[in-house]
Amino acid sequence: MKEMLHYREIPGKSAGYYAVLAILGVLIALGLGAAYYMEHQGHHVTGMNNQIVWGMPHVFAVFLIVAASGALNVASISSVFNKKLYKPLAPLSGLVAIALLVGGLCILVLDLGRPDRLIVAMTYYNFKSIFAWNIFLYTGFIAIVAVYLWMMLERRFNKFSKPVGFFAFIWRLILTTGTGSIFGFLVARQAYDAAILAPVFIVMSFSFGLAVFNILLIGIYSGTRRPLGDAVVERLRKLQGVFIAAVLFFVTIFHLTSLYATERHGVMKFILDGGNVYTGLFWLGFVLIGSIIPLVFCLLNGFKNSARWLVTASVTVIAGGMAQMYVIIIGGQAYPLDMFPGYEVSSSFFDGDIGSYTPSIYEVGLGAGGFAFAIAIVLAGVKILRFLPLSLANSLVDPHYHSEERSEENETAAGEQARA
Amino acid sequence: MTQLALVIDLNVCVGCHACVTSCKQWNTSGPAGAMSDDNPYAAEPTGTFFNRVQTFEVGQYPHTETIHFPKSCLHCEDAPCVPVCPTGASHKREEDGIVLVDYNKCIGCGYCSWACPYGARELDEHEKVMKKCTLCVDRIYDEALPEAERKPACVLACPTSARLYGDVHDPNSEVSIAIRDEGGYALMPEWGTQPANHYLPRRKTRKHYHEDELVRVDNPLKKEGPLIADEKGPFLEDVTSW
Repeated sequence: MKEMLHYREIPGKSAGYYAVLAILGVLIALGLGAAYYMEHQGHHVTGMNNQIVWGMPHVFAVFLIVAASGALNVASISSVFNKKLYKPLAPLSGLVAIALLVGGLCILVLDLGRPDRLIVAMTYYNFKSIFAWNIFLYTGFIAIVAVYLWMMLERRFNKFSKPVGFFAFIWRLILTTGTGSIFGFLVARQAYDAAILAPVFIVMSFSFGLAVFNILLIGIYSGTRRPLGDAVVERLRKLQGVFIAAVLFFVTIFHLTSLYATERHGVMKFILDGGNVYTGLFWLGFVLIGSIIPLVFCLLNGFKNSARWLVTASVTVIAGGMAQMYVIIIGGQAYPLDMFPGYEVSSSFFDGDIGSYTPSIYEVGLGAGGFAFAIAIVLAGVKILRFLPLSLANSLVDPHYHSEERSEENETAAGEQARA
Repeated sequence: MTQLALVIDLNVCVGCHACVTSCKQWNTSGPAGAMSDDNPYAAEPTGTFFNRVQTFEVGQYPHTETIHFPKSCLHCEDAPCVPVCPTGASHKREEDGIVLVDYNKCIGCGYCSWACPYGARELDEHEKVMKKCTLCVDRIYDEALPEAERKPACVLACPTSARLYGDVHDPNSEVSIAIRDEGGYALMPEWGTQPANHYLPRRKTRKHYHEDELVRVDNPLKKEGPLIADEKGPFLEDVTSW
């Protein structure tokens, strides 16, 4: 008899669940407080200045927005590429995607000079601006993924989930292209102005989004004591490994291309061999902690079938991803505009100087608050709606599962479902 | 189409910052104001300025010279800050080519600051909108002012008349003639932004003298020869027409 997956809300009555929500609530409150303080006092209380106009909140926001589109991958692999193992994970994937995007957008909006003018941004559009396009890409993404979730969760509409999922997949690729192009279209800055930044952002989204998804999935299953089979863990581990390697490859090509152009030698030396915070964050943060270490966890057999090592790898990917975002966003601004090539420039406006930036506690608070808000949405979502199967045991999710192993696991899974 | 602009003569700019202070004074009192100015005497002053003077050294010591380079928004004919603005707050006026920011539509996203290759955009840290040189648009059309004063504040303040103002599309304007005759150039033309503001280059005046030009032909001392303390001899008045 074919076994069925049963999607159920998590009970969400334990002290642990409320404790996590309380911690997230405190972080959200601190984030809102920080946003209010910065809005009330003005940007001079932040570390931002006229050289570094996008600071730490943008690092968090862009990371979350990029991760959001990547978190939808799991659903896309199921709907678009027909991989059955990912199907039970697809609803959570959609929820995480929406939550991360909402969290990122909250940070972005609250970090605007005038968040009170959001209505202006929504009523006046300059369609030559990639920024204006992104407003549609972001809101459209939320709407499309919401419909996609509806098609997946409502049994009558399941048949539509494939075309809607395909549309969502195309949309997310365009969205991340748009986010990457915010930087790629910047011809005025030597650290950017590269078409490859769009695909770099797409592969980064694959990796960062999956890392966040892994942690949430394993965290929720561990917290609710629902069975999570090795098959899922192992597949996600290998997928994460492939994505990490792809990011490393694309970033390497980006830097090699830049190193080839003489006019970019200065900025590349500044980032890669400048002996500054950006150099440290790139090599130690992104390359070592964010890429090589998790690659070891994801590809070596010694760490096989271990949810714990997958979480560890995912945490390091997120840490490395944040470091990379810091290098891209802050590092690129810190390098001065080269208006007088070959000359040393000084002025009352710090022209020609390396921009200095120290993130203020308020900026970090706003970013962390947005991150917490995204996680809180996921935790609330899985309690309210039936996003998660009661069991992800191998026997239920692995199409290649051998029958002799099945009977053993069936007992456990059946027991779990009966208790629920 | 009219394209108003500034032409700055680097040959006579002495880096006195009169343009900077007059700009700040005029604009902080006008529609763009108040322009923030935090910790002006502290180690890390911050504030909004539409116009700043950069100073840089050219050459290797001892063959160096200092160049003062006043820089404000260049009112590019193909301004890169305009298409990137999501709300259209950044715009270029058709009637006179001035690039302006609609402070009521600016959401303070800072993207124009990223796009400007000249670093001319500044976020007012208190009003939290992007600000930049308006070419004193509130002054140049003010008919309450005498006609001679309908010029940007920086132009009026410059003690060496290093700043000229006018229509660069009018071939007979003062600025067009200066650009044509003095070899005026635009900043970083390779960007294709066609900055309206131009700079007149430093000019070296070199003159060669022959040795005999350095010797006074009718030097009375020569006629006198070595001075002799002889009271009977002719006095200077006796041998010159002085």
